[in-house]
Amino acid sequence: MPAVQETIDQVRQIDVDQYKYGFETKIEMDKAPKGLSEDIIRLISSKKNEPEWMLEWRFEAYRRWLTMEEPSWARVRYPKIDFNEIHYYAAPKGTTGPKSLDEVDPELLKVYEKLGIPLREQEILAGVEKSKIAVDAVFDSVSVVTTFKEELKKAGVIFMSISEAIREHPDLVRKYLGTVVPQSDNFYATLNSAVFTDGSFVYVPKGVRCPMELSTYFRINEKNTGQFERTLIIADEGAYVSYLEGCTAPQRDENQLHAAVVELIALDDAEIKYSTVQNWYPGDKEGKGGIYNFVTKRGDCRGKNSKISWTQVETGSAITWKYPSCILRGDGSRGEFYSIAVSNGHQQVDSGTKMIHLGKNTSSRIISKGIAAGFSDNTYRGQVSAHRKAENARNFTQCDSLLIGDKCGAHTVPYIEAKNSTAQFEHEATTSKISEDQLFYCLQRGIPEEAAIALIVNGFVKEVIQELPMEFAVEAQKLIGISLEGSVG
Amino acid sequence: MNMQQAIKMTAAESALVDAYTAQIGDLPGDGAVLSLRDTLVHELRTAGLPTRRVEAWHYTDLRTLLRSVPAADSTAFSERVEAIVPGASVLSVRNGQADLKTLPEGVTARSYSESLLDGSAAAGLAVLGADDAIGRINGGLVRGGLEIAVAEGAELKAPVEIQVVQSHGQAHTRFPVSFGAGAKATMIERHLSTSAEPSFVSSVSDVTLAEGADVIWIILQQQGPADTHLGQIRFDLGKDAKLHLFVINAGGKLVRQELHGKASGEGADLTLRGINLLGGDSHTDVTFTLSHDVPHTTSSEIIRNVVFDRAKGVFQGKILVAKDAQKTDAKMACNTLLLSDDADLSAKPELEIFADDVQCGHGATVADIDHTQLFYLLSRGIPEKKARAMLVNAFVAEIVEELEDDEALVEALEGVISAWLEKHA
Repeated sequence: MPAVQETIDQVRQIDVDQYKYGFETKIEMDKAPKGLSEDIIRLISSKKNEPEWMLEWRFEAYRRWLTMEEPSWARVRYPKIDFNEIHYYAAPKGTTGPKSLDEVDPELLKVYEKLGIPLREQEILAGVEKSKIAVDAVFDSVSVVTTFKEELKKAGVIFMSISEAIREHPDLVRKYLGTVVPQSDNFYATLNSAVFTDGSFVYVPKGVRCPMELSTYFRINEKNTGQFERTLIIADEGAYVSYLEGCTAPQRDENQLHAAVVELIALDDAEIKYSTVQNWYPGDKEGKGGIYNFVTKRGDCRGKNSKISWTQVETGSAITWKYPSCILRGDGSRGEFYSIAVSNGHQQVDSGTKMIHLGKNTSSRIISKGIAAGFSDNTYRGQVSAHRKAENARNFTQCDSLLIGDKCGAHTVPYIEAKNSTAQFEHEATTSKISEDQLFYCLQRGIPEEAAIALIVNGFVKEVIQELPMEFAVEAQKLIGISLEGSVG
Repeated sequence: MNMQQAIKMTAAESALVDAYTAQIGDLPGDGAVLSLRDTLVHELRTAGLPTRRVEAWHYTDLRTLLRSVPAADSTAFSERVEAIVPGASVLSVRNGQADLKTLPEGVTARSYSESLLDGSAAAGLAVLGADDAIGRINGGLVRGGLEIAVAEGAELKAPVEIQVVQSHGQAHTRFPVSFGAGAKATMIERHLSTSAEPSFVSSVSDVTLAEGADVIWIILQQQGPADTHLGQIRFDLGKDAKLHLFVINAGGKLVRQELHGKASGEGADLTLRGINLLGGDSHTDVTFTLSHDVPHTTSSEIIRNVVFDRAKGVFQGKILVAKDAQKTDAKMACNTLLLSDDADLSAKPELEIFADDVQCGHGATVADIDHTQLFYLLSRGIPEKKARAMLVNAFVAEIVEELEDDEALVEALEGVISAWLEKHA
């Protein structure tokens, strides 16, 4: 059956022409010349005052990248990208790294005010006691400010831009960088390894529960730039951290490239929760402009009983190509992926996850909800695999898609690979089958089936989204009400 | 694929190209057919066999898996065997030559080599796309087969069995089969081998159902333990046509069974049932695509895999719903019993949907035997080995029973399954 009116209205509210963050800020920028070469990489590295080993690491990636071919397997189409037409470094003049808030250009602060991102600690504290959030604000190629650093330090948590971390905690960075997403991983991850400019670094020491939410807010502002951020989060034994990521960009006619790499490492009994509200500029009604979001995100449950969970709300970008994944290496580790992807206009989404079961007694759960409207294409692509020794691997996958209109497409491409007889994999994509016990419970209490299904699905999504702080989740909140009535599987 | 330049051919690729070269002048065809053969073999030579980098062959890297191809031998066919269902008419193909001794009423047939010679086969020889390696190999090397027409309104009382019996060497066959409006028939396409010598078989069936035709088509693959079987069935369902396609894989070393269909008339309905019995070191791939092209068509697919030993199983299923195909109702399920830690199963149940008022679902499960069920049987004094066998049998036999209208057929297929399980479980 077709989608219900309520859903259509809700999706309309976040249609591409309703993009609210498309303003541009005139700010004097310090840019690297266009193009990519060893000199540019040397320039980026020197701007960041990086040690020699880091520069070498970048070169290694760059040389590898030159031999690689752009992947073509995803269900997305776009004109060939000219990698020499991009500025690989752009920073507000005089800013090479985060400063104290008083030193930051007031124009820049205005940007964040407009976006609703809290940067002034005292304001946050003065406000109603909501959850406290520490923010790392990345503007084009640099981190401009990181809040609550001192308070976090007291708890032993390191939260800073990755450029700072390379200088101040080289041992930690060297030990973990590239161990989850190797330099040679894929075309865009390798490009990122060569030219990444900033991003966040988090280290939560043994047994520490990070006292507040951490978040990074990415803003692309400058024309003809690409943003290549790199995030590295390590939760040591028994640690816990919840991290949020938000992103927006100005409205422009040309496409801009965003190729990030995110690496998560959870040691024994540690837990990392990573949430994304992706709201890059999606292009206009005709499909002109918008961000190419080609991202590699991967978490490594390295320790026993560790847990990594990805939550994503995707409404932006002209093209999205990302598969936040979990490598379930530690025995008893657990991976989760919750996603809502809404595509409008001419957006193209090819997103999903990978759950790679390597250890014993590992489990994973995938819940994905894709909604396609306008002329968009929305593809779920997910892999679940159990290796030879992954005894008792368990997976449950549920992916639903909804189409609004007859000019769009919804696609589901799951890859299920089992190499161990004790593995138990379940994949389903029908609404009628969701948790029959729960459904039965509702029906028994007189709730009609359709309402019961909506209640169960939305109840679940709500639980996920409500954990995002308000500042980041305006769009997400709107999506809560979207029901799956009329889901096509 | 961007592989215009010549590649270094593997032993199997060379063997296929050589088989073609050796038979030039001997392979039937008119000018158009012969030049098409040339093109297909040339493509095989330049592109090679597909690798895992080709998405449609992701889990079956034919270039690596196909180590060798036995030489073609015009005496490699065997005598025909008893029909699997008593009373069925048997049509067979031996070294490309059709044996049409027993044609039931309402059925006309001629040898496919005649269609190759008079050129009427040319259009059907085209490949389905750049990744259609089976169509390419078969189109290049096909020697014969059967062209069958079931007359409008004909209702066949007994099944028709198409037999390809091989003892070694190569067999490349085609079966264009058309069913007239309202025709009703049960067809059994049976591939078997009579020796342990390796044989290489490619076979393409091209089936069209006119309005209201109601057909049961069974593919029974019982090749030997060293055989390579590349099978393909293409089907096109007209208005209100009903096809019950039943695939049983119970043999072969390297098997790829492709099922490509179109629901092109309103009210068309496909029921696909697959049973893959996998053991030893075999690799078996069932790849299915169905495109719902018009409104109000339905399909239901259930695949059951039982995987023992070091066997590898693959199921790829793709349902496409075209832009205007509203009210499509499609359900696909792939259930697997993985019974060995050295076995392997990969499933890719895909949906590609462009219409907004449809119902499509897919489910996939992989698990070992349900322990509560096993416990139930054990607690009733049934020994474990027997209890396991019962559960495995029940898992697959369940879907055979759907053919209950034809008892003899159900019995025959259950016999094939039991015999296989007896040997492997």
